[in-house]
Amino acid sequence: MRDVYVAGIGITSFTRLEFPLVEIAAYPGLMAMKESGIKSIDQLYVANMGASRANHQTGLASAVIDNMSLTPAGAETIENGPASGASAIKQGFMAVASGMYDTVMVIGAERMREVNTLEATDFVATLTHPMAEYIYGVTLPALAGMFARLYMEKYGVTSRHLAMVAVKNHKHAMDNFYAHLHEEITIEGILDSPDASTNNPMIADPLRYYDMCPVSDGGACLILTTAEIAKKTGKPMVRLAGVGQATDTHAVHDRKDPTDLLAVRGAASKSFAMAGVTPKDVHVAELHDAFTILEIAESEEVGFFERGQGHIALQEGYTKLGGKLPINPSGGLKAKGHPVGATGVGQAHEIVLQLRGEAGKRQVKNAKVGFTCNFGGFGNNVVCLTFVKEA
Amino acid sequence: MEKNIYAYKCKRCGYVQYPYRTICRGCHENDHNEFDIVAMSKKGKLVTFTHLYNPPSDFETVFLTLGIVELDDGNRITCQLNISKPKMGMEVTGKVEVVRKDEYNKYYGIVFYEN
Repeated sequence: MRDVYVAGIGITSFTRLEFPLVEIAAYPGLMAMKESGIKSIDQLYVANMGASRANHQTGLASAVIDNMSLTPAGAETIENGPASGASAIKQGFMAVASGMYDTVMVIGAERMREVNTLEATDFVATLTHPMAEYIYGVTLPALAGMFARLYMEKYGVTSRHLAMVAVKNHKHAMDNFYAHLHEEITIEGILDSPDASTNNPMIADPLRYYDMCPVSDGGACLILTTAEIAKKTGKPMVRLAGVGQATDTHAVHDRKDPTDLLAVRGAASKSFAMAGVTPKDVHVAELHDAFTILEIAESEEVGFFERGQGHIALQEGYTKLGGKLPINPSGGLKAKGHPVGATGVGQAHEIVLQLRGEAGKRQVKNAKVGFTCNFGGFGNNVVCLTFVKEA
Repeated sequence: MEKNIYAYKCKRCGYVQYPYRTICRGCHENDHNEFDIVAMSKKGKLVTFTHLYNPPSDFETVFLTLGIVELDDGNRITCQLNISKPKMGMEVTGKVEVVRKDEYNKYYGIVFYEN
């Protein structure tokens, strides 16, 4: 296999965007081409989950490649639920590593705000088991609520710990221009004050409004290429060193212990093994905190902390900016936003910024190894990526 | 006739799976549709639950109580609960009812009640 490097990156704000979906996809691509000086590509991968439902559009990659005037390069749309983004990066990685293509562009794009929140929640809920879950009215927040109840009981995690994740990630997002929510929150405001039940109502008991990510539009892009071409960009050399993916049962009730996220564990260990690093070597990580409880659970499953210790590390400030292992410096899905198909590419975008040393006020000092966990379904399809900065 | 939710018992290895899979999770060796259909128990213990306050828009309720129940026969099932104050570990009994409706269809599923 050839080594694969990130030559260029681009991103839109994650928020409500009044542009057509193809432009939300094309704009970060344009940014990535400008910053890298790369003008032609061999192949485009577009990660998207809901265009056929929310935007009445199929064959998105064909529309995007034409919109960017990059024909006749190859183009494919990758749909893998909320893990579409990292899945598309994986396809790009394989294409360059195998030698089939030299330069590929990976774009994630989603425009969910074209429909209302209930419709957006419903299109995401279609990834649950149609007969065993969906018919009962199960949505992703419902699965997260049931998971959280078990997890909190088992490990002594409280609503206060969950609120700490939200407070931390909202604070991180204050320094991220592209984040959806620029709103500092306090534990008092969302839990303790008399207004807390109005500010922060219960959504999927025990999870409240501020335990959930917003519904966002947005796009992000990575250009992946060989060492030779990446050197010409003059940017710090960031190598995509490890790619791991694993799956778990479709229905959550079917898992031996429903508090185990075996796909996260599997994907992370494969990714670390390929990169030749261990969880202890990681300096900065973006985890899939669509629900606050997931940041805590994933931080354990990927191997940063022992089982049941994630919330302790959080409480001690280990995972905030300035701590020993900052998690979600971008604000995470919680505050940066969650345009489902684009999220995995957005996470990788943040890690590349951090490793290049271009993250501004939220820069993690001397970050050399970065990690992303992109969580599809309710943990039934997970892709983890490890990035390494080379001198 | 009493309605049931059915699980699929592999004719080769006896592994019972719910929901349906084409290939048995126990032996991975069955032929197409090589299962006996077995009615699942309707008694069990509540594993976990949630009150969902933003149910899908086709539900005409303020909130929806959903859960996972571990049945006496060892299988687990996702379900709706008709219990105002559910507790983890409580004993529950199920009934097959219409759990979701759209313009043309009714969908049957299991709803659990307090014993």
